[in-house]
Amino acid sequence: MSGVDVGGESKKRSTNTEINMIPFIDLLMVTVAFLLITAVWVTNSRINADAQVPGPPNPTVELQPVPPEKVLNLHIGENEFGLVWKQGATVVSEIKVPKTQVETEQADRKIIRFPELAKKLEEEWKQQKNHWDPSDRKLDQCILHSDNRTPFKEIVAVLDALYTTKRDMKFNDGSVKQIPVFNMTFSVR
Amino acid sequence: MDHFSRKHHNPHAHVIHKPGSRLMHSVPLKFVWSKVMGHGARSANTSLNLTSYIDFLMVTVIFLLMSFSASGEIGVDKSVKLPKAENVEDVIDAPMIAVNGNQILVDGQLAGSTRAIEELGRLQKLDELFSMMKNKRELWKQLQPNRPFPGVCILQVDENVPALVVKSVFQTAAFAGYPNVSFMVGKISKSGG
Repeated sequence: MSGVDVGGESKKRSTNTEINMIPFIDLLMVTVAFLLITAVWVTNSRINADAQVPGPPNPTVELQPVPPEKVLNLHIGENEFGLVWKQGATVVSEIKVPKTQVETEQADRKIIRFPELAKKLEEEWKQQKNHWDPSDRKLDQCILHSDNRTPFKEIVAVLDALYTTKRDMKFNDGSVKQIPVFNMTFSVR
Repeated sequence: MDHFSRKHHNPHAHVIHKPGSRLMHSVPLKFVWSKVMGHGARSANTSLNLTSYIDFLMVTVIFLLMSFSASGEIGVDKSVKLPKAENVEDVIDAPMIAVNGNQILVDGQLAGSTRAIEELGRLQKLDELFSMMKNKRELWKQLQPNRPFPGVCILQVDENVPALVVKSVFQTAAFAGYPNVSFMVGKISKSGG
């Protein structure tokens, strides 16, 4: 099994020697035990949002008036979603998407998803996009309008659909990553 | 092989026998005996083949190393049932605001009640949460004066909490200097869970 064959009583040493595997197995066992103890089995992630708060003013930089960009206003209705692109106060385009939700069950919990909304959002972004170049670090803005009683899981399902569409973005280190095309914030009344 | 040398087996001669294989001893044929004894070449000590065992350990170690997280487990309030989503990012180190059916907690400390927001029925700034978050921001700035403040916080919101509460907490966090708010969610696979 293990141990080094020293060749017994014969004068010539055997050409085949067995490596002692016991320390190696011990090391593997200790590593397995350590990794099992420190393992994190519950994987949580995050969905990003931005409150669109302007930063502190910089007195050294002169402010230039910036023309308003097209912004997607996503209305969560009772039976449908409203996708309204606005440039300032002007409505550029408006479509309605029926609220067809797909429910999947996982560990006795229902997960809601809106694949049709995700598809429509991608089509809309392709038509109305402001930022698509990989060197462009800005994202298109989406303002989420929802009823105060809307449960959070429905909001997350809408955000999930919103972040389905992705584009390439080039970073300072030269790497290119797939980033969601929209940045979301809530509308406040 | 001394069994063959004895012509007549005496059942009362000895009750204790020499250790060894017993299978098919009753068959009085030499070639059967030879086969049972392993043609006389079987050793009393057998070595186990450890290759498969080492392979198994190696695969286990590699799997565990791949799923190893140096940042450790992020505490999620037990009363919060997180919603799940596909298009997510990795969690970062930031202050945690947990919102369950009744309470708002900042890193485990009570910072308000969700009932009060629901009863009022309109968006509001939560003073207790605001002061706690502001204190956290000031402490961060004191500890790291040369670094720009990232303004990131993570909301652990129960899946059944109404949007009014979420928006109130979101807005309060933004007022307190945390405009980059992330929602903690469970990750589901792209295939559909």
